[in-house]
Amino acid sequence: MQRLAFLLVIFLSRPIAPAQDSTLPLKSGSVRFAVIGDMGTGELPQYQVAQRMLDFHQKFPFTFAIMLGDNIYGGKSPADLEKKFEIPYKPLLDAGVQFYASLGNHDDTNERFYKFFNMNGQQYYSFKKGNVHFFALDSDYLDPKQLGWLEKELANAGTDWKICFFHHPLYSSGAFHGSSTELRAVLEPLLLKYGVQVVFAGHEHVYERLKPQKGIYYFTEGASGELRLGNLRKTDLTAAGYDKDRSFLSIEISGDDLSFQAISRTGVTVDSGSFRRPGAEQQAP
Amino acid sequence: MQLGGLTLPTASLLIVFSAVTSAQTPPLSQQPPGFDDFTQRVQQYMKLRKALPNERTTKRQEQIVDRRLSIADAIREARPAAKQGDIFTPESTPEFLKVIRGALRGASGSSVRKTIRQGEPVMGVHLTVNGPYPEHLPRTTVPPTLLLRLPRLPDKLAYRIVDHDFVLQDTEARLVVDFIPGALP
Repeated sequence: MQRLAFLLVIFLSRPIAPAQDSTLPLKSGSVRFAVIGDMGTGELPQYQVAQRMLDFHQKFPFTFAIMLGDNIYGGKSPADLEKKFEIPYKPLLDAGVQFYASLGNHDDTNERFYKFFNMNGQQYYSFKKGNVHFFALDSDYLDPKQLGWLEKELANAGTDWKICFFHHPLYSSGAFHGSSTELRAVLEPLLLKYGVQVVFAGHEHVYERLKPQKGIYYFTEGASGELRLGNLRKTDLTAAGYDKDRSFLSIEISGDDLSFQAISRTGVTVDSGSFRRPGAEQQAP
Repeated sequence: MQLGGLTLPTASLLIVFSAVTSAQTPPLSQQPPGFDDFTQRVQQYMKLRKALPNERTTKRQEQIVDRRLSIADAIREARPAAKQGDIFTPESTPEFLKVIRGALRGASGSSVRKTIRQGEPVMGVHLTVNGPYPEHLPRTTVPPTLLLRLPRLPDKLAYRIVDHDFVLQDTEARLVVDFIPGALP
């Protein structure tokens, strides 16, 4: 009964803006996914972003979502997991959307055993979707073993696209944390050596798309539940950013093209665009 | 009689598993010098750990929590007299302090300190050996350049930084295995 009442409150609290139109190309056979970070609060804004994702799923049927850490803030009891994950994303789970988690500093490493997070008991892991290879890292604990694993995985990845996702941003214009320079010193050489094209991170509770750094595209999406209002100090790194409300990101990869659309809790598109895979041959005119 | 915090019957029983478990902890020859004593204590702990159930993947969080609590209880039962200094022994602690403080002071010290700050460390937490790593605590970020210089740990163990303490945590049991108080200035 309590749960029903809670769901009713959530339903009545839905953002009332119309469902956002997709700017994504929706090409046949494309890889489509959502990106959320720092969402596991169990509070109303998380539910509203989840509802907005569901609305958008009607127009852009993404098949999976990647989670950039801080999946479950605070307590980790069964009731917490229900409130902070299972209830808000239930309609998406019911629609067959799979969630792939990486761990943040507020997560428990035992989340890797939680089947809905698709980590298969691993703190770091990789998976493939079409011509894209994803690498989920645990940036709170980049020990030599994990770095060795990553190098081996990247070296053996035979896909066109290589995408890494983890919690701490290597580049960020966020005022609260900023760039994780030490992690960058350790990770960036591997990303460059093995041709990673895109990196998604959270931790800063804002949305930011960065200008390519040494040829790699970086996105920060750390505002899918939490928010640090007005915390983005746009710098020379910033290509676009949004710190006025919560948000999530949708991505479509078709062949050598990646398209993105960032949408706010209230349904406003706050960033969109596309780019060609670095290293891919240019299209014939 | 105690052996590194283990009761003698438990330690005897676990000798049976030693051949199997030794592969989980990197051998002494692969560890940085000066940590032999620590590595041997960790190997003893992992022998104990091998005899206990492991976590398994499930959609039911209550099963994960139940298993975690039962693993923690079994570890406490097997190490009833465990105390601070059993694994971070007086022999190995100076080596840890040398590495940790060296990393904080060295040429890259400011970025190491920044990494710790960015991990949102929690202050004012009182830890006890065999006690739970508090559920609400962030894991904290352990600087990767520090991890490069420390002995490598088997899968179920991790280093943590809590307040000024340097902690060895059993990650599945969420248990404080040992800690060095005041390791970080």
